[in-house]
Amino acid sequence: MTDALRPTRPRTAPIVPERSVAGRTLLLLIAIMTFLSALTLGGVVLVQKSAIAWSADVGREVTIQIKPVAGEVMESNLRLAVSLAEATPGVASARALSLEESQNLLKPWLGEGLDLSTLEIPRMVAVQLSDPQDADIGKLANDLKSIKGASLDTHAAWRQQLNTMAGAIVVSGLLVLALIVVATVLAIIFATRGTMATNREIVDVLHFIGASNSFIAGEFQGRFLLIGFRGGIIGGLGAVLFFLIIALVAGNAGPTDVSAQFGLLFGRFAIGYDGVAGIAAVIPVIAAMTAITSRFTVRRFLSQIS
Amino acid sequence: MIEFSSVGLRYGQGPEILKDLSFRIDPGTFHFLTGPSGSGKTSLLKLLLLSLKPTRGTVTMFGEDVRELDQDRLLLMRRHIGIVFQEFRLLDHLTTFENVALPLRVLGQPEVQYRSNVEELLEWVGLGERMDALPPLLSGGEKQRAAIARAVIARPDILLADEPTGNLDPDLSKRLVTLFAELNRTGTTIILATHELTLLDSFDFPRMVLEDGELAFS
Repeated sequence: MTDALRPTRPRTAPIVPERSVAGRTLLLLIAIMTFLSALTLGGVVLVQKSAIAWSADVGREVTIQIKPVAGEVMESNLRLAVSLAEATPGVASARALSLEESQNLLKPWLGEGLDLSTLEIPRMVAVQLSDPQDADIGKLANDLKSIKGASLDTHAAWRQQLNTMAGAIVVSGLLVLALIVVATVLAIIFATRGTMATNREIVDVLHFIGASNSFIAGEFQGRFLLIGFRGGIIGGLGAVLFFLIIALVAGNAGPTDVSAQFGLLFGRFAIGYDGVAGIAAVIPVIAAMTAITSRFTVRRFLSQIS
Repeated sequence: MIEFSSVGLRYGQGPEILKDLSFRIDPGTFHFLTGPSGSGKTSLLKLLLLSLKPTRGTVTMFGEDVRELDQDRLLLMRRHIGIVFQEFRLLDHLTTFENVALPLRVLGQPEVQYRSNVEELLEWVGLGERMDALPPLLSGGEKQRAAIARAVIARPDILLADEPTGNLDPDLSKRLVTLFAELNRTGTTIILATHELTLLDSFDFPRMVLEDGELAFS
């Protein structure tokens, strides 16, 4: 029979049979671990992004508060405060809040329907900075000493608190991520050892015919790399889908103004392209980690039985 | 080719399984290794296969003291040795062709390079029509012929066989030993362990007789 007429032999079967590796269980485990890793990573990205955005927003504004003082005319003090602010380098604009606006600010604490016209309440000047770094806040604070009852709030303490809280959440997230990685590595080690024990006959036969430990490790590693990739892709896609759904649900959670306030307070629950890129980066990392861990475990197993 | 000098072997702190073995196997010879069960035949084969190192004495193979060899060098030397087991030890998920080709795959050869050699060898051992069958579908004799083909496909200098006819009927046993004899005529050194007296009497090859861990030639 000529080679052309000879029936084509099916592709050479892998030396380590696919079904002999604890494939489905390990695949599910890696998918779950990738999902949790991506979720943690996405959460960290969300918190960090929101914190940076909040901090930047708050940092672009300072508030002058003028308390009512006997003998002082509030309206003229407000005008003076506005002009002092506008004369300060780095200030883009300054605006005195009207009496009505000031009263509205108290409503959440004092309730609706209260007549505040008889009550003398502190008044505010909102000062927008063109560049928070270059604004001469010290000069403004000094100038305001000429107005009785005036004080300057740069929100520095609040920003510091916010940054500390966001930093703590990010560090906790990274710690959780590290624990997930350790748990995944341990699970892969157990799965690999189980697989090696199940396939001991294959290992022995390969040894008898002169296969090196690195050849045998390579045969097993290939299987685990594939499982790692599949599990990583499933878990990663699951996480991206989760964030998409959350972003959609959060965006449509209530009336527009409620949704806007919610967004202002907690961010937009959108991880953005960089967040998706981060999750995508988790997939090859998990696959590589699976392959490296299994190779290391297989080599260790082989050196123990040699 | 193989030289044992005052070789002793014990497992852990147990008694000596092999005692003061001194012999020499020349290239291209055929030896039966025989003796009652528990006499140390399998242990001696393990020493010859480099699976074990002697606890005393010197084993020299291909001019090298095996105790001086590191793991990588041992594996390379093992490629010069073929082994056939009583229980065949074929991989059930691979076809007869793939099982026989395994040593060549381990050597890194691509299928296009070894395909015709494997097919030719399978024809020679009478398995030309069973190339694509999986081992569970082969008879005992077919499995043992596949195992022999796997052991010789990479053209080893030494072929070891541990009770290769243990699971076969007398007729088939004789035919298999004839196959080993044919391989020996092509230059392969053969050491065949068996305790079947009828088989030993059917062939005129020198015998290494192990009794209580001690060796005698006859």
